[in-house]
Formats: sequence, C-alpha cells, structure tokens
Amino acid sequence: MSGRMRTLVVVVVLLAVAVLSRFFLYSGDPHVEVAPEELFAIGGFSVTNSLFTALLVDIILVVVALLATRNMQLVPRGVQNVMEMIVEALYNLFRNLSPKFINQVFPLAASIFLFVLVSNWLGLIPGGSSIGVCHAAGEEHSARLALVREGEYAGAIRFAPAAAEGDNPYTTCPSGYTLVPWLRPPSTDLNFTLALGLLSFVFFEYWGFRTLGIGYLKKFFNLNGVMSFVGIIEFISEIMKPISLALRLFGNIFAGEVLIAVLTFLVPLALPMPIYGFEIFVGFIQALVFALLTVAFLTIATTSHEGEHHGDEHGSAARAH
Amino acid sequence: MEGLNLIATALAIGLAAIGPGIGVGIIVAGALQAMGRNPEMENTLVQYMFIGIAFTEALAIFGLVISFMIAFGVIQ
Amino acid sequence: MDALGINLNLFLAQLINFGVVVGLLWWLLYKPVTRMLNERTARIEASLRDADQVKQQLANAKRDYEAEIARARQEAAGIVAQAQERARAQEAEIVAQARREADRLREEARAQAALEREQMLRGAKNQIAELVTLTASRVLDAELKAAGHDKLIAESLAALDRRN
Repeated sequence: MSGRMRTLVVVVVLLAVAVLSRFFLYSGDPHVEVAPEELFAIGGFSVTNSLFTALLVDIILVVVALLATRNMQLVPRGVQNVMEMIVEALYNLFRNLSPKFINQVFPLAASIFLFVLVSNWLGLIPGGSSIGVCHAAGEEHSARLALVREGEYAGAIRFAPAAAEGDNPYTTCPSGYTLVPWLRPPSTDLNFTLALGLLSFVFFEYWGFRTLGIGYLKKFFNLNGVMSFVGIIEFISEIMKPISLALRLFGNIFAGEVLIAVLTFLVPLALPMPIYGFEIFVGFIQALVFALLTVAFLTIATTSHEGEHHGDEHGSAARAH
Repeated sequence: MEGLNLIATALAIGLAAIGPGIGVGIIVAGALQAMGRNPEMENTLVQYMFIGIAFTEALAIFGLVISFMIAFGVIQ
Repeated sequence: MDALGINLNLFLAQLINFGVVVGLLWWLLYKPVTRMLNERTARIEASLRDADQVKQQLANAKRDYEAEIARARQEAAGIVAQAQERARAQEAEIVAQARREADRLREEARAQAALEREQMLRGAKNQIAELVTLTASRVLDAELKAAGHDKLIAESLAALDRRN
C-alpha cells in the first residue's frame, strides 16, 4: 500500500469515526464561561479556578527551575540543558529587539513567556475543562450551548442562558448544580491578562521616564501645531497598549478554548484533534508575542523622538492597536 | 437568545475579521518576499512578522471579544 | 465588569502572584542559568585562546626545528666541504712531497751515477796512463834510460786530457 493510499485510508477512517461519534456519543454541554468561577473561599476571599491554575503554574515553573539549577554542570544534561536552551534563545531573541535594556527587561519578558506558555498549554490538557466540583447554580450564570433533546426542535443546538446540569447525563452534579472545572488557564481570565498588561505597561513607562526624563512626556503633550494632535493620538494609543495586550491574550486563548469546546460538543471524536495542534501553536505564539511586545514597547518608549521623524514605523505600530 | 443578538454576535466577529485578514496576508507576503531575497535575515524577519501579525490580529481579537460579550450577555 | 469576571481582589491576587513568580524565577532560574552560560562562554573562549596559543607554540617549535635542521644541514655541508678541501690540500701536499722525493731520489741517483762514471773514468784514465806509461817504459826502457821519463808521462796525460 503506497503512502498516499495509507493516508487516504486513515483520513477516511477518522472521518467515519467523527461522523459516527456525532450520533452515538454525547460529550456534555461545552463549558463556556467568560468569568472565572469560584472554587472555594478562604476567609471571604474567593479562590477562582483561574487563580488556582495560576498557583499550579507557579509550582510547575518553580519545580522546573529548581530541577534545572539544582546540580548545575558545565556540560548540561536533561532539564538543565532544556532550560538553558530556552533561556538562551529568549535572551538572544529579546536582545535583538532591545540591545540596551536587555538586562532590565529580560526577567520580566522571559517570565511572561514562560508563565503564559505553561498557562496556555495547561488549558489544553484533556479533562481540564470537564473535571471539577459541583456548585449551586446561581442566577447570574452566563449562557452556554446545549442540545435540545425534546420538543419540536430536538436535535438543534440552542444557546441556553444557563444550562441545567441535571439535563446532562454525563455529569454527576445533581440537578440545579453546575460543574466548575479545576483547571482554567489564567490566560482566559481577564484579571490575569489585565494584571500582566498593567505590569508590562508600568515597566516600560518607568524605563521611558527614567531614560528620557521629563522629555518623555513631550511625545504626548506639546504645542507645535499638528504634532500636538499627533501627541494626543499617541497618548490614547499608549493608554490602549496594556488593554490591547490583555485583550489579545485573552481573546486568542479564550477563543481557542471555546472553539475546542464547541467542536467537541458538535463532533466528539477526531475533528477537534487538528484544532488541538493549532491551539498548541497559538498558545506558544501568544506567549511569545506578549513577551516580544513588552520588549518592543520598551524599545519604543526609550527611543527619543527629538529630531528624528521616523514616524512611519512608529506611527503604524502605535495606530495598529 | 434573541435573533438580533445572534446577528450582532456574528457581525461583530465577521466584520472584524475582514481587515485583519487582509492585513495579515500583506504582512506575511512581505515577510516571505523579504526572506526569499535575504534568507540570512530570516530570524529577525520572523520576529518582526509575528509582532506585526500581533498588532494586526489585535483588531480581529477586539471584534471577537465584543462578539463574546454580546453572545454571553455581558452587553445587551 | 462583573459579567467579565473583573474583580479588584482577583486582579490584585493575580498581579501579586505574577510578581512573586517573576522574582522566584529571577532568583532560581535566570541568575544561575545566565551565570552558567557566561561561565561556559568564558571557558570556551579561554580554551580557544589556549588552543590558539598551543597552535602558535607548535608553529614556533616547528619553525625553530626546521631552522635548526637547516642550520645543521648547512653546517654539515660546510664541514664536508672543509674536509674535502683539507683532503684535497693534503692530497696535493702528499703528491708534491712524493714528487719531491722522487725528484730527489732521481737527482741522487743521477749524481751517484755521474760520480761513479767520473770515478770510473778517472780510474780508467789512471790505469790507461799507467798502462801506457808501463808499455812505453818497457818499450823505451832501453833507448831512453830514464831520460825525460817523467816528462813523457806528463805529456801523455796532457794529451789524454785534451782528448777527453
């Protein structure tokens, strides 16, 4: 059997499995929540599943860091080798963008990359969004997709304001309770992405001020004709930087989660597989982009605008978000 | 969910995807051309390409977030 | 804001959490790894420098060795030439000496031969003179009776001398 024939057979079998699974398997309602859900409360402070996952990511990163640096050898092996390769590659990458401030920006940017990467990939672990605890369904629960099983629209997909978990034969939660999964990548929590964006924003504004002094503000507020309007636009775009960083990460990862949830809901087997591969790629790229943009914004903030009117690259970069 | 909300959801992401789609295409085309002409610059170009894509894609993501907000009843 | 899940407490919690992670990773990962990378780079550079030095030394040694060899060869050639020179000189000397010796021998032989001939001639002359004198005396004994005896001998001798 030639290679092409074999591929064809595999594809056909997978498609058949996919189509059959659509009719014989019920994958449960997709779990789509914009807001992170509370797992438990400690003294009035509610620990959400995204915060819980963030702590998990902390543990993973710290353990890997400890493993990598526990017994450092001049000739690296195992974890040490991998982490050294990653750190070195990141260092070279960021140095290309910001050779002057690499030592200041590197810990932050590399941490952003590693944390967001692990967080994004944690969300892709199968079962991550379907293993959890049962909580009493509140009134404010947002909408989710559900399959209509009775009545004249049976078989159709419906947007329910809050699906009653009791309808779902694949959950052990009693009627009136909803499933809250343990794992929810922090990147799909706006609190986290905004916190990250704010941290990055504060960082590059601080270094902008520190490098250019009070002249840094001249980029935004000046009184020479047209440039004053440009300054106002720059100011708005500057304010939008952390928000765009936060929303980019949130949107990409959350959209990926929703896509996988909906696809699994529609076709339980085979079809979500390529999407998983794509989401692994997206998770990596978004982590990298967040870190790279932090470095790039730092470079932009620390570059003086006096005399040089290369408003082209800068303006387009500023206008794009 | 009301029909208008559904339409709004679909339009929000659908319209928001047009511009960035074209933009990302232009960026990647330019980057590939540059790489073809100057292969030793590939690493730097890929970096800038992804930054450019991120900027462009942000617009689509804004639309996506708005569409989520409408779909899940955050704004009505 | 509530529907999006944005909540000041959670926001601060995430902010602090991430700040702590940055600090931990800085302390646990970046510092040791960067130090190790720098150390390794320094080490590799040092090794490269060492290798260069060793190569340089090797080249130097080779050059010295070759120079030494060349000099030795030159010296040997010099010695051989000198030896040949000396040998040729000696040979010439020996030959000259031998020739001188031969000349001397020949000279001596010739001198001896001349001497012997002289002596022989002189002997023969005397004998002849004596014989002539004797014969003449015998013949003339009667007639002359010792008149002008010695005078005759002297005349004969003079005549012999002239003939010679």
